[in-house]
Amino acid sequence: MAAAPARARADYDYLIKLLLIGDSGVGKSCLLLRFSDGSFTTSFITTIGIDFKIRTIELDGKRIKLQIWDTAGQERFRTITTAYYRGAMGILLVYDVTDEASFNNIRNWIRNIEQHASDNVNKILVGNKADMDESKRAVPTAKGQALADEYGIKFFETSAKTNMNVEEVFFSIARDIKQRLADTDSRAEPQTIKINQQDSAADGGQAAQKSACCG
Amino acid sequence: MLKGKLKLPAPDKPGTIFPDRLGSLVMAAGLDEKGSEIERFEVEFGEELAPIKPGAFEFHRESDDGDEAIDGEKDDKDQRIRQKPNKDAVAVATSISLEEKRSELEYELSRREINLEKLRRIASTGIPDGGGLRATAWKSEHIWKEPKRLSSTKQHDDNDVDGPLRRHEVSVEDHPLSLDKESLWRQYFQYTETVEQIDRDLQRTHPDMPFFSGETSFSRKNKEAMKNILLLFAKLNPAICYVQGMNEVLAPIYYVFSTDTDKQNAANAEADSFSCFVRILGDSVDHFCQQLDNSSSGILATLSRLSDLLKVNDEQLWHHLEFTTKVKPQFYAFRWITLLLTQEFQFEYILRIWDTLISNTFGVQDMLLRVCCAMLLCVKSRLLSGDFVANIKLLQHYPDDINIEYLLQVAQDISPDTSSYILSL
Repeated sequence: MAAAPARARADYDYLIKLLLIGDSGVGKSCLLLRFSDGSFTTSFITTIGIDFKIRTIELDGKRIKLQIWDTAGQERFRTITTAYYRGAMGILLVYDVTDEASFNNIRNWIRNIEQHASDNVNKILVGNKADMDESKRAVPTAKGQALADEYGIKFFETSAKTNMNVEEVFFSIARDIKQRLADTDSRAEPQTIKINQQDSAADGGQAAQKSACCG
Repeated sequence: MLKGKLKLPAPDKPGTIFPDRLGSLVMAAGLDEKGSEIERFEVEFGEELAPIKPGAFEFHRESDDGDEAIDGEKDDKDQRIRQKPNKDAVAVATSISLEEKRSELEYELSRREINLEKLRRIASTGIPDGGGLRATAWKSEHIWKEPKRLSSTKQHDDNDVDGPLRRHEVSVEDHPLSLDKESLWRQYFQYTETVEQIDRDLQRTHPDMPFFSGETSFSRKNKEAMKNILLLFAKLNPAICYVQGMNEVLAPIYYVFSTDTDKQNAANAEADSFSCFVRILGDSVDHFCQQLDNSSSGILATLSRLSDLLKVNDEQLWHHLEFTTKVKPQFYAFRWITLLLTQEFQFEYILRIWDTLISNTFGVQDMLLRVCCAMLLCVKSRLLSGDFVANIKLLQHYPDDINIEYLLQVAQDISPDTSSYILSL
């Protein structure tokens, strides 16, 4: 389903790379599957290392290709996953509203971002499994909001199961990043800047541009 | 016949198969390379070279010469792969009927002294499902190694893991909030965390199979046994503990042993699986250890070995992946290698692939890298026409239209230059 290299450039106006991080079992892969494929399953396998999905959305008349990296939650995979932080333009910090430890760990995840990601990376806080019965809830919405406010980032409670707020989270962070890119665009030469925005550090974002110039 | 194709190391360089027991795993985690080498098992080369079927061996020598001649002609690789199997003794074995194979295996396994070389040769072409053949063949690795193990001079080191675990006394200074590494309270909480993590992952192990998933008493019993195995491993190897993905590595082992039609064997599945799990992880446990990521036995080194292997076998594909589309092995092969391919194929194919991995004379890791490289070669044309995104998707969700027997044949035939890495580890 991916476009052939020669056509890749015409495929989108912006390429935005996102990263999902958070403790094991909070539902990162489920959120991503819901957003990229529109489906939900309770029978999920453990993510090992990293996984990858694509979805192109339209925002204010622009085609935005979202390249989303899903990471393994366990500490052991940190050396592998932090290598992707630098290439990310936006990071979704996910916790499980029924698991307080996963919420408390968000501060550690933010420290990780500060260490490994670009300074201007956009962040968003996501409390997943919000469909669960109130009796199972361990993190009140207000607490999530307070933490988000403390870091000056946006906050959503989501449910991959019921599709609550899933689109909103991804669209919200995509819109903020697009705005940031557009701002930088208007301050510099329009043609080159988009390419520069796609961090050269890691992987494949620039594959599209690259193949466009080498045939 | 794999060994016939390998460039043979200098006679004084011993081949290593698995570190032969748990103790070495702990040592490996302690970065003690020398130490773990002592623990490893040595194979006499004369022993390995003994041809089982003289005719087949000679036949094979011809193709060996062919290998060297073709070294410079990488473009012919695809064609060569398709032609070569017919010449191979392994392929001859493949062609024997399932029934013949079954009876041949039964015969080999029933002998008082099992000829492991011969057993491996048959097993590497796939063990028929049903009955307890696969379970017995997988276990035979142990039978073979046991006498050698007992003769090990390091045997006494094992004593501390024998018998029941010691009971600890909680000191008066210790308390539940202690951050002291020695604190038993702290260890207790860490242990609880490990249990939770294992539980979470066992819920997600082959969720499509009733054997592992669902709330039946059958699947609960299986999960409980697997939990015991993983917990015991974590306890005995505190430097590694439990790492996500170990559940996937354990699954085929436990499945095979507990579905043995011999009731007595099946009843021992938990203990047997633990033992086999330790051995299977034996030459790759460092992949699970974060502190060893940058060491020569860590996952990053293995990934670059895969890259080297691909380069030697198909430079065009290697260049396209690494430079044109920048699809590094970390993106796809991290999971392939740490999980021994258990998340890449349907379950029945995993078992088939493992027959070949386990019966490889040069160890699981040697064959694993070959299979990984073969997986790339088998989708070469798709990779060459793909960009970054297409290739990542293809390799992270490996297509199920690839013929497994063909894939494994390609793996067997892969130019062996880098397998010396394994031998020298």
